[in-house]
Amino acid sequence: MSEGNDGITRRKFIRVAGASGVSSALYLYGGCRGGATRPGKGGRSAANGKKVIVIGIDGMDPRLSERLMAAGELRNLAGMRDAGGYSRLGTSIPPQSPVAWANFITGAGPGVHGIFDFIHRDPKRQCAPYFAAAETIPALDGWEVGEHKIPLAFWPFDHQPAETVLRREGTPFWDYLDEAGIPAWFYDIPSNYPPSPSRYGHVHCLSGMGVPDLLGSYGTYQHFSEKTIVDKTEAGGLRKPLVFRNNTAKAKLTGPDNIYLQKPIATTAEFRIYRHPSKPIARIEFQGQTVVLKEGEWSDWRKVEFELQMPAFMPNESASGICRFYLQEVHPDLTLYVTPINIDPSDPGGQRITEPANFITRISDKLGRFYTTGFQEDHKSLSNKIFTDEEFHQQADYVLEERLNLLDYALEHYDDGVLFFYFSSTDVQAHMFWWDSDEKHPVRSAEDTKKYANVISDLYKKMDKIVGDIHKQYGDEATILVLSDHGFCNFRRQFNLNTWLRDNGYVGPPDAKSLLDPRRGRLVDWSRTRAYGMGLNGLYLNLAGRESDGIVRSGERDALLNEIRDKLLAVRDPVDGQTVIAQVDRADEAYSGPQVSKAPDLIVGYHRGYRSSWTTCLGDMSEEVFSDNDSAWSADHCMATSQLPGVVFSNRAILRQNPSLVDVAPTILQEFGIEPPGTMTGGSLFTSAATASAAAG
Amino acid sequence: MEAVNWLLINGANAVLWLWGLVKSLFVTLFGALDTVLDPVLSPVFAVLNPICTAIGDAVYAVLGPLPVWLGLTVLSALTGVVMLVAFRYVSNQTAIGRAKDDIKANLLALKLYKDELRVTFQAQGRLLWAVLRLQRYVLTPVLVMLLPVLLGLAQMGVRHQWRPLHPGEQTLIRMRLAEDAGNPIEVQLEPNAGVVAEVGAVPGGGELVWRIRGGKPGRHALRFNTGGHVIEKELVVGTDFQRVSAARVGPDWTGQLFHPAERRLPGDGPIRSIEITYPGVDSWIYGANWWVLYFFVISMAVALLLKPLFRVRF
Repeated sequence: MSEGNDGITRRKFIRVAGASGVSSALYLYGGCRGGATRPGKGGRSAANGKKVIVIGIDGMDPRLSERLMAAGELRNLAGMRDAGGYSRLGTSIPPQSPVAWANFITGAGPGVHGIFDFIHRDPKRQCAPYFAAAETIPALDGWEVGEHKIPLAFWPFDHQPAETVLRREGTPFWDYLDEAGIPAWFYDIPSNYPPSPSRYGHVHCLSGMGVPDLLGSYGTYQHFSEKTIVDKTEAGGLRKPLVFRNNTAKAKLTGPDNIYLQKPIATTAEFRIYRHPSKPIARIEFQGQTVVLKEGEWSDWRKVEFELQMPAFMPNESASGICRFYLQEVHPDLTLYVTPINIDPSDPGGQRITEPANFITRISDKLGRFYTTGFQEDHKSLSNKIFTDEEFHQQADYVLEERLNLLDYALEHYDDGVLFFYFSSTDVQAHMFWWDSDEKHPVRSAEDTKKYANVISDLYKKMDKIVGDIHKQYGDEATILVLSDHGFCNFRRQFNLNTWLRDNGYVGPPDAKSLLDPRRGRLVDWSRTRAYGMGLNGLYLNLAGRESDGIVRSGERDALLNEIRDKLLAVRDPVDGQTVIAQVDRADEAYSGPQVSKAPDLIVGYHRGYRSSWTTCLGDMSEEVFSDNDSAWSADHCMATSQLPGVVFSNRAILRQNPSLVDVAPTILQEFGIEPPGTMTGGSLFTSAATASAAAG
Repeated sequence: MEAVNWLLINGANAVLWLWGLVKSLFVTLFGALDTVLDPVLSPVFAVLNPICTAIGDAVYAVLGPLPVWLGLTVLSALTGVVMLVAFRYVSNQTAIGRAKDDIKANLLALKLYKDELRVTFQAQGRLLWAVLRLQRYVLTPVLVMLLPVLLGLAQMGVRHQWRPLHPGEQTLIRMRLAEDAGNPIEVQLEPNAGVVAEVGAVPGGGELVWRIRGGKPGRHALRFNTGGHVIEKELVVGTDFQRVSAARVGPDWTGQLFHPAERRLPGDGPIRSIEITYPGVDSWIYGANWWVLYFFVISMAVALLLKPLFRVRF
């Protein structure tokens, strides 16, 4: 999270020590010489005017798309379909966005790129979970002075500051374009945070899914209310009490941890709220800024600075981010929502979210401030009942509006080469609003279910219009690809894999409650545990020699995997007898490549309507194996790969049989006459298998 | 290492404590100074400001046809000439010339007799004395010119620091209340074509704050009604280069100096000041904050260039 912001650099140290201006001048001279990058619009590149535009629409579902096309509501996409440019698109195993988009990026499966789930586990620490796509490595050394520990990142100390590293392996397809001198522009690309470097300077990239907020999380909102009695931390947010005296209250925004402390604690930024005694209006004052809001209004983006206290002899450091305020209610109880503190695109500090580093400020110079976290739509606020459906819809609409501005910027600065643009709205809003059956929705009335399901249809229509506009602008001068990483379906019932494993004797003791969290109850006894679930689709054996407390010997492995797989495939829902699990893949059969050793041993693929339970993902067990999903997060895609293909549309005929995400990268490379490398497992979408083999022969 | 850490931390704490003390002393001192100076200087500025604003309006009316950057360049250059001439007649040119000659002579002595320790020390002492004398002779004209220059800068500030609110553009109006104004105080912003009042006023912290949008272009007099008593504040809406008064202040000489375009508020009323958060002028030459730098660079450059012509020494 705190890449490049953690160590005391030579420059800072020199400044602190009051060293001569000559040193600073030399430093500035060195700094000014580097980092020049080519601006967007320019002369002809090695692409020679060739254009490939890829629009990534996360979670666009083939069944809904086909239904809307049949109803004549997606005219532009239907036009592409009628010209032979449509197919369902095979997704990844499992169909999770980070995995699927990494397939797209590398043109290969998880065995090559090493992302198998949102969450991986570290077998050296038995099953300690970590985010699969990026990892923050804390500073190990530092100058211990009082309560502080200051990394001095220069000789002779050479302390290693904290840094965030991209854990996606494999070679992204843009590296081949970069080498060939073909410009490539990526906006909000998932599974690429921190952005991979461009060796030749032809790649521009704004990272998307995976970019954290200033607190290092995927997005932590802060909710202040007179109704809240004590501070509370919940998944995705913080709730804090407000106490008014004379219609004035003081509160504190929580910022990032002060990593210069030996025991890091969260920084804060104080603000005041003045409430009108009778009218539904209020005023927020902080750091010389004033926000005046009516009930139900959002502020624009505001910069907030958090002071990182340093030892007395050094100037304090600061970390700044941006947030928006939403005044939910003024009377009788004032309630104020604050978005996650996003990295400020106009001043990202040491946070690197683009390649090259200054790309983000160039965008911001044109567009102002905007959401930079990977997850922009605040679904957690809806799940945690902070937002109503309408409030979430409003916030998500704003996100889309910002993204459309970004798309305008992207198109304006694009000459030729590759342009990739990603939309998250279709995915995140679908998680919350999708419902495509007559069964009762977990949290919504029948009327609201229908109303909000229509939001998704409307979103598809907006996407159709965007594609139509781009097609109209470029015609056949550009190859246009519109694709999604997976489809969508209802999520009615939860399956607790760890509870099932426990009840079937694979996890012991029989009254175990959690793999990791003692607050949940009794922890598992690893000497009696042969398999465990971690992540949304992963099942791991407790393998001797791999897991630190492993007990399953390698000779028992195959038989045990097959036994568990057969049993899982036979599971029936006790309520209606439906099959729950559609597909269980063995990693050694489903994957190939250098990263397979990180993979779960089995990948559990659920039928539509079923998904792993909320609690099992991080190793907790419930009383019952099955439970109803009672969350506003009522639709999902982390089921079976075969159940949830994505879509691909193009203004060119798609000839490849059963295309999948891994075919997109080779398609793009071949459009520029670059032969896909051997690590890519797919082939061009525009070539049939017969033509391809004839060409190869 | 432990001892070094201890020394660093405690030494820095001591320095910080001293710095805090000095700061609070200065704050107290300036506070007291204001209390003494306000009754004296506030009426002076109340008289000077309308005159200066009229002169400023006339000057900018003449410069009006020119592009703004060129107008500022001309004005800066003319100011440079005026300051040069004023300096010549206000300063003791003979004494300044002597001091400068002494400086030159002693610098030469330092160079010629660098092996003679006694001469070197003597020359350094004389050099220091000559520099101090020069400072003293320069101080008089600087003090004489300080007020006109400040008044001139204030006139330029109200044109280059802020720009008019665009129609539809959002901003805040902040009314600071007197400590004894009573709480809550009812203030109505009367309807006006120049403003769309969106939210307000929100009281608290001794202030009332409105969120507004710019309405019809023009120079409007906003009327704030406090129980029948009406206070006006100018609001400028438009897209062209105009004089903009960001604040109307009470009897506070520093506030009046920097916000000269409107009459001061009555000192015995409940309102201390009314501020409109205008956006800054967006230009690297004549825009917010940059105009001051540009003004000094051009006026100094012109003064230095024309120094031989006017036979001025400084």
